[in-house]
Amino acid sequence: MVGYDDAETFLARLLELLPVGSAADVRLRASEFGTMRFANGHIHQPHLERLTELSLRVAIDRRLATVTTFDLSRSGRKEAVRRALALARVAPEEPKFPGFPGGGSRPPVVPYSAATARATPEEQGRWAARLIDGARSSVEDGRVAGVAHIGETWLAVANTAGRSVRTRRSIAAARVLVERPSQDPPPSGWSEAAHFDLRRLDPEALGREAGETLARQAPEPLAPDRYRVLLSGSATATLLSELGHLGFGARGAEEGWSALTRRWGRRVAPEGFTLVDDARSPLSLPQGIDQEGLSKRRTVLIDDGIATGPVLDLVTAARLGRRPTGHAWPPEAPWGELGATPQNMIVRPGSARSLEELIRETRRGVLVNRFHYVRTVDPARAILTGMTRDGTYRIERGEVVAPVRNLRFTESILTALAGAELWGRELRCYANSDERGAVSVTAPALLTRAFRFTSATVF
Amino acid sequence: MEDLLALALNAVRSSELRAVEVRIVAPARTEMLEIRNGKASALTYQENAGVGVRVRTDSTWGFATAGALDRASVRHVAHQALRAARAARAARPTPLAVTEEPSVVEGRYASAVKEDPFNVPLEEKLSLLREAEAALHSGPEVRTGSASMCAWQESKWFASSEGRSYRSTITHVGAGVCATAIAGAEVQRRSAPTSFGGNFGQAGFEFIRDLKLVEKAPGVGREEVALLSAPAPPTRRTTLVLASDQLALQVHESVGHATELDRILAMEAGFAGTSWVEPRMLGKLRYGSPLMNIVADATEPGGLGSFGFDDEGVPARRTELVREGVLVGALTSRETAARLGLPSSGATTRAEGFYRMPLIRMTNVDLLPGDRPFEELLCDVEEGVYLETNRSWSIDDKRLNFQFGTEVGRRIEHGELGGLLRNPIYSGMTPEFWGSLDALGDASTWQLWGVPNCGKGQPGQVARVGHGAPVARFRNVAVRGG
Repeated sequence: MVGYDDAETFLARLLELLPVGSAADVRLRASEFGTMRFANGHIHQPHLERLTELSLRVAIDRRLATVTTFDLSRSGRKEAVRRALALARVAPEEPKFPGFPGGGSRPPVVPYSAATARATPEEQGRWAARLIDGARSSVEDGRVAGVAHIGETWLAVANTAGRSVRTRRSIAAARVLVERPSQDPPPSGWSEAAHFDLRRLDPEALGREAGETLARQAPEPLAPDRYRVLLSGSATATLLSELGHLGFGARGAEEGWSALTRRWGRRVAPEGFTLVDDARSPLSLPQGIDQEGLSKRRTVLIDDGIATGPVLDLVTAARLGRRPTGHAWPPEAPWGELGATPQNMIVRPGSARSLEELIRETRRGVLVNRFHYVRTVDPARAILTGMTRDGTYRIERGEVVAPVRNLRFTESILTALAGAELWGRELRCYANSDERGAVSVTAPALLTRAFRFTSATVF
Repeated sequence: MEDLLALALNAVRSSELRAVEVRIVAPARTEMLEIRNGKASALTYQENAGVGVRVRTDSTWGFATAGALDRASVRHVAHQALRAARAARAARPTPLAVTEEPSVVEGRYASAVKEDPFNVPLEEKLSLLREAEAALHSGPEVRTGSASMCAWQESKWFASSEGRSYRSTITHVGAGVCATAIAGAEVQRRSAPTSFGGNFGQAGFEFIRDLKLVEKAPGVGREEVALLSAPAPPTRRTTLVLASDQLALQVHESVGHATELDRILAMEAGFAGTSWVEPRMLGKLRYGSPLMNIVADATEPGGLGSFGFDDEGVPARRTELVREGVLVGALTSRETAARLGLPSSGATTRAEGFYRMPLIRMTNVDLLPGDRPFEELLCDVEEGVYLETNRSWSIDDKRLNFQFGTEVGRRIEHGELGGLLRNPIYSGMTPEFWGSLDALGDASTWQLWGVPNCGKGQPGQVARVGHGAPVARFRNVAVRGG
């Protein structure tokens, strides 16, 4: 098994297997994780993984092809090289391929927690149990479900132009749902958070927080309509994550279907709203390099309300005549539909001191704790649809007055963003995937004046 | 390979162990090819191999995996699986029981493949994609054309300490074309044979040849350009006729997921959600119209959800889910079936690969055809819409409130198909919607579709599942433009 410390040497030897004069880049990706999944109050799916994957991309006369393998033996590596060359020989030419980047500077050192990366399965199990206990402490007859995801990924990238870099990323992510099955239909509450350092998350507090968002009374029906909406940090992060794909993705910008195609340099959010992608920030889940071995650059996406531009990988940057920003996904990512996308979005803190202050500022509206199954209806207009779940409340005269049945929204995130009135100082990091390439969004609760609900459900 | 299976089965000796299951994959191969605007967007070959071990004690499961097949790694994974099961006890476990299942000794399964997709010359595959992609560009409005194909092949060895062992090689293929046209702020996409990569099946390259992408591509390009100037449907309740591909997704979202017993038993509550179906409703709940008959059939030839044995070593079977509109069955595993007191598992437990824990997944969940030719479905419709090919989908965490958009709609006027409609959306609640089904197309309208991107689980797993559906008619459905 190749480890982090051997990775650069391993990749250098692999590049030596290529014919003289070849151009290629090669990645070694590893995940060493525990995922303690729980439901009905106990851990029902404990999962430990240790996977290391090699990804080789070769370029012959600007013809690109990629091969991946788990077989790191000498014969496995030779076979990967043979297949990649065979694929590239028949590939169509990519005329804008700029070549692989040269040596350059060492990648930035980013925050990393060895204690998180090395948490034992026993520690992970106990940590998950503390999440469950926290939720139960606030809802005595509560039924608790969720996940604790703890470990690390690392990435080493080398190429024939002389670049050889590596980075490691520690991740701790927790999600807790608590239901009260004694009520019909059972109300539910939700809490989640992620951090690069497990010790900075308080599992009991997260569990209690989930319980605090659970309704104490039966939800009322609320007529679908346009409402002022107070989005929790989780709900804000979900919408921004979608905007990351639809608006700031390289492919949409290049092909003209991005929701921001005609809005670069124009106002898309109120003054004071700034959104950056910053993989070096400890507020995010830090990572030093992208899958092409480029250093992650802090990229401003929305600057004081003005949309600035997409994030880019090597090829999309070349096609658009710009510099890559260090946001490449693996070249073998299925279909390459989105190209580069933001992976560490952070909202600049707002002025509201707390969620309570945001509630007080809402004369009449709806508080959304979590969204579910959000999908694109119209990419060019960034219209999304999805449901609320795990805590939806009616706000009247600055107070939460009653839980309401879950609602379906069909709304453009650009409308929601343009209508942002106030957002919180407190930021929280949310990891929207447990996969090896986890995307994080660090966001506050946000109050928007216009958000359209189009139907309701019965619970 | 038998040595490694035996090593994993016997690596851990402990009185607390009730069962050990080992899955070795060597190899799983994936080839993805995509031509986008004349260039290679994806030209990828992926291969993985490794081992996954799941253990069961009286109260917990434990799972561990590694992407290596040397003896030390296999032994380590077995020990880690037991360690995971012990770690899970930190959270007050409850008794864990499973159904008894018959032994399977050296079972064998292989997909019926006429032409191994990995043996077809790359030049030939790329030539087909190039030609199909080029044919999409019917006018300057077509900004992006894409033609893609994918092939997967997994060779798997399974053994359990309970006397089940099998070996299988499963091959899946699929392909499709998609064009994006832009005029001002209007963006339209049109696909064939359906969206999100096309259609997929358990077969060889002959399946891709039969899709006739080159012949279909010009029509796709022309239709999407026409959609740019088509009107959106007015907001109203009307008669809805769904094409087979869209109805397949409707079955997937509002019946398939809702009848997964792990969801019903709240085992997926934290992520995918639960279900509006409750255990007490089995055998009693009126799910929809008496025309509705739905089966989960893992024995169906050519289905993406077909196999010889599931990932608990249980032989594939066909299970009725809905009979004449009444819920009569669920998608089950050994654990969930035992919890409900059912005699056996429905054999629906699958993992994305050796590196993931098996979960309940749809097999081929099919809506059986009725007896009406397509023209007869339309002839009773004075005014309505015909919707085809999914564009967006969303449903709540109990699988009740749904909203689907399709790539294209057509007016139905006086029993005949009329002009195009862009960005159509329909929405509803699952039982009311299925209750409004009043006519089902006959076998000539029925088609088996492959859905290659069904997500579930943490860490995330993508399953390839099948759905057969005819054309069908629903009354009084909410329709509007997106």
